[in-house]
Amino acid sequence: MVPAPEGDDAVAAAFAAHRGWAFGEAYRRYASLLYSTAYNVLGGSEEAQDCVADAFARLWRIPDAYSTARGNLRNFLVVCVRNEAISRRRQLGRQARLESRLAAMPPEHTELKLSDPIERDRVRRALLELPAEQRTALALAYYDGKTHSEIAAELREPLGTIKSRIKLGLRKLASALESGALTRER
Amino acid sequence: MGDTHLGDLAELHALGALHADESAALEAHLRGCSDCAAQVAAAHHDVALVASMETQRNAPPQMAHRIERIFLIPPGRRSRSAPFSWPMAGLAAAFLIGMLPSLYFWKQNASLHGAMLVQTAAMERLATTPHRTAFFRATPGAPPAEVAYAPDGSWYVVMVHGASKALTVAWMHGGARTLLGSAVPRGTAAMLYLPKSHRMDQLALMDGERIVADAQLSW
Repeated sequence: MVPAPEGDDAVAAAFAAHRGWAFGEAYRRYASLLYSTAYNVLGGSEEAQDCVADAFARLWRIPDAYSTARGNLRNFLVVCVRNEAISRRRQLGRQARLESRLAAMPPEHTELKLSDPIERDRVRRALLELPAEQRTALALAYYDGKTHSEIAAELREPLGTIKSRIKLGLRKLASALESGALTRER
Repeated sequence: MGDTHLGDLAELHALGALHADESAALEAHLRGCSDCAAQVAAAHHDVALVASMETQRNAPPQMAHRIERIFLIPPGRRSRSAPFSWPMAGLAAAFLIGMLPSLYFWKQNASLHGAMLVQTAAMERLATTPHRTAFFRATPGAPPAEVAYAPDGSWYVVMVHGASKALTVAWMHGGARTLLGSAVPRGTAAMLYLPKSHRMDQLALMDGERIVADAQLSW
């Protein structure tokens, strides 16, 4: 076993070179984040574990799945795991579980509750600051795991419009979360 | 996608909002386009940021062992849902070595022959078909053990490591127990293959009448 370098960049480079130890080290560094990401989509521990394992197995099978040009390894892995989880949820059709997890969100996604004081509600508070049409499209993508065509059909809007709303909404949301100061734009 | 650049697809990809064929085309494009790769990296950053601010949980400790096993063999030799397992292979080797003395009697003992065929079938199951693994919670002094089982409950393989004597495997259900068979040590390991037609939620290892370990199976 090769000792793991301490720097994230070194691990990312070795991960891109498909070194087994780097895959293991990447998991150790981000285990809880990746597991939580899967859990928050799937709502169950066993499914989340299967999801993370399958995501890593998939990356291990594809020699050029990751390169340092793809950016930060941690972010890349979060998206890989999350997309795997969304894919699984679509296959399983377990929308009921999602609905219970999103109990704070009205069916129309037009308003969000602010009463929960815990940390995760920073996301919801930030979502509230988005323009309604962006918030709705983004929530359907992020929380409901719907595809762009499903969102367009549900909202009865052109596909291009939905793509733009999601893109703008995501950027504003991330910017607001990073800065801690929400951009109020209505 | 070809030579066309991403447009608005980077965020959709990062959110998992693309269809599978679109994602595959996008991934292929990214391998040759650094500009689009950077665009997708930015979208990944945004999604990962949101994900990291949702409820966080500690990953189960057994996950690390499961993940490590993925990378122990070169990529390309692994099936998606039936990952090769070095511990499993070691166990199989130990089992086969333990069975070598029995090979001498094989030709003379039809029943043992049958048992070997069953065990061989068990190893083939483990190597080639999807399965889950649950670990037994052992009482002090009891050997570590695990059960690999098919997701549909059609078979179970109970493995006991370092067993010094046979342990009985029991199915615990509704306050009752059904004895399923004995895991008999062969060399350094004991194994019991159980073809079944139903899902069992809880198994126990028994030394005589005493339960020395139990395992909860997830479905």
